[in-house]
Amino acid sequence: MPLNVVVCLKQVPNPDLQFQPSSDGKDIKREAVNYKTNGADEYALEEAVRLKEKHGGTVTAITAGPKRTEQMLREAMAKGADAAVRAGFEDPAAVDPFQVARILAATLGKRPHDLVLTGVQSDDYVYSATGPLIAGFLNIPHASVVTKVEVQEGGFKVWRELEGGDQEVVSLPKPALLTVQFGINQPRYAPLPAIMRASRQPIQEMKPSDLGQPSWDGFRGPYAMSVRQVSPPAAKGRAEMIPGKVGDQAKAVAQLLREKGLFRG
Amino acid sequence: MTTGGNVLAIAEHREGKIAGSTYELVAKGRELATGMGGSVRAALLGKGVASLAREIASRGVEVLLVEHEALETYTPGGYSQALAVISAVSKPRVILFAHSAQGFDLAPRLAAEWNAPIVANCVDLAMEGGSLIASRRILNDKMAVELSVTSEQPYLATLRPGSVKPAGPSAGMAPVTPVQVAVDPAKNGRTFLGYEKPQVQDIDIAAADVVVSAGRGIQKRENLALIEQLAKALGGVLGASRPLTDLEWLPKTRQVGQSGKTVHPKLYIACGISGAMQHVAGMKDAGLIIAINTDPSAPIFEVAHYGVVANVLEFVPALVRELRGGS
Repeated sequence: MPLNVVVCLKQVPNPDLQFQPSSDGKDIKREAVNYKTNGADEYALEEAVRLKEKHGGTVTAITAGPKRTEQMLREAMAKGADAAVRAGFEDPAAVDPFQVARILAATLGKRPHDLVLTGVQSDDYVYSATGPLIAGFLNIPHASVVTKVEVQEGGFKVWRELEGGDQEVVSLPKPALLTVQFGINQPRYAPLPAIMRASRQPIQEMKPSDLGQPSWDGFRGPYAMSVRQVSPPAAKGRAEMIPGKVGDQAKAVAQLLREKGLFRG
Repeated sequence: MTTGGNVLAIAEHREGKIAGSTYELVAKGRELATGMGGSVRAALLGKGVASLAREIASRGVEVLLVEHEALETYTPGGYSQALAVISAVSKPRVILFAHSAQGFDLAPRLAAEWNAPIVANCVDLAMEGGSLIASRRILNDKMAVELSVTSEQPYLATLRPGSVKPAGPSAGMAPVTPVQVAVDPAKNGRTFLGYEKPQVQDIDIAAADVVVSAGRGIQKRENLALIEQLAKALGGVLGASRPLTDLEWLPKTRQVGQSGKTVHPKLYIACGISGAMQHVAGMKDAGLIIAINTDPSAPIFEVAHYGVVANVLEFVPALVRELRGGS
């Protein structure tokens, strides 16, 4: 039973970097930001490609984002996606997951989809909302935090991770949407010839008019959402920092452990 | 908006136990509702859960209790059908969910179905005028954001567990009000098949007095040995953050965090762990927390009592030498 899988990808600022507020205090300063594919989305893409390799079918990578996101879509094609689509939503911050999910739902709703995969969360905003929102807009069943997928007659059996290490096993008819948890697989690296080939592959671009709206604002919900402020978090229980070079720090910590009675010797 | 300012807190329970986060929702909901001149209520959905309803009501909050065969375990479809009815009855301005594997599975789906705004993974919420102000952490907790949302529809919000103090027991018992709801299991979409528990064939890190955990900062699997040496020198056990168990450098049983173990040792040492929410949820209540990280802005230093900005691969061997009697 071949599967048509659509995987939704997001390009995010590398969260390992340091950040500052923009001059108007409504976003992070983006000029020097280094972007990467969202961590959980790498696992979603790998799972999509593995399902295709096992069952046949296609993988389509889609995103809603500015031109820079084409780099991410090319990487996805180099790793096994057959086609890529970019909804040309140019807002670099895109803080409302409702709007983004509606754009993605409209984009992927136009193509065959037995299975839609997203990452469990984005590394930048960590809403964990986009996947279930898309499923709601498409009116298809979904499951979040998925750690294992089995294809069954007419649908899927999936394992989802709950708090405390327990798993919940559920079944869903197809088409369905799953949000993929870190660690479900080991994502592959793209081989060089595939990277070369992907650099020449087309990326389909969707404009709002292709999706039946005069502008991207047409995808907003019936409410107003805005950023009041972006700032470094107020340090609440900031640690007491141990100064000095490594040797001095080690001496200080050893002494501390002895003083607190946590080490005797 | 003639409905005043009621808040609905969606209770979470599994296998006969109320999730602790439910009482955090009640506390935050009470605060929001008081400010709007309304009241907070909890919604409990399930089958044969009247005793759980009373448990919640003993915290001084009225419970809307929906019992139905098709709600015995959580499914987004079943909960969506029931909550549509409850929402129509109780007319909340704000509906609160825990930011949990259930809460963030459900709340955004309802947002799409109801055409309502969703703010997820909030660390605080406040009402200002008719607007909801949501405080959030982004980019590995390195930045704080305040969002303002103005809506006629109810606001849907998920609250990060551990962000607010839970509601305590109250002097008087609040009422439990049964609500009749027709749930069509055929519309549930997804079917619950069962739970699977981890097979424990390893030491229980939750029972240890000292836990020394390794994170991505150790760079290579071989370097686990260094961290284990420190754990042994302190009579403790080796734990890990999620990325290392995902890479299978250590078994899942060693994972500290929301999806792993919650530990309360006397001493917790975080070696090369940045301190993502998922990890911090599992160790923040340790007696003494020492963190080592090269990045001075790493959020682990917000929960640690003592911080060391250093390469963990240099610091840990130096500390082991000091503990063994100096170099």
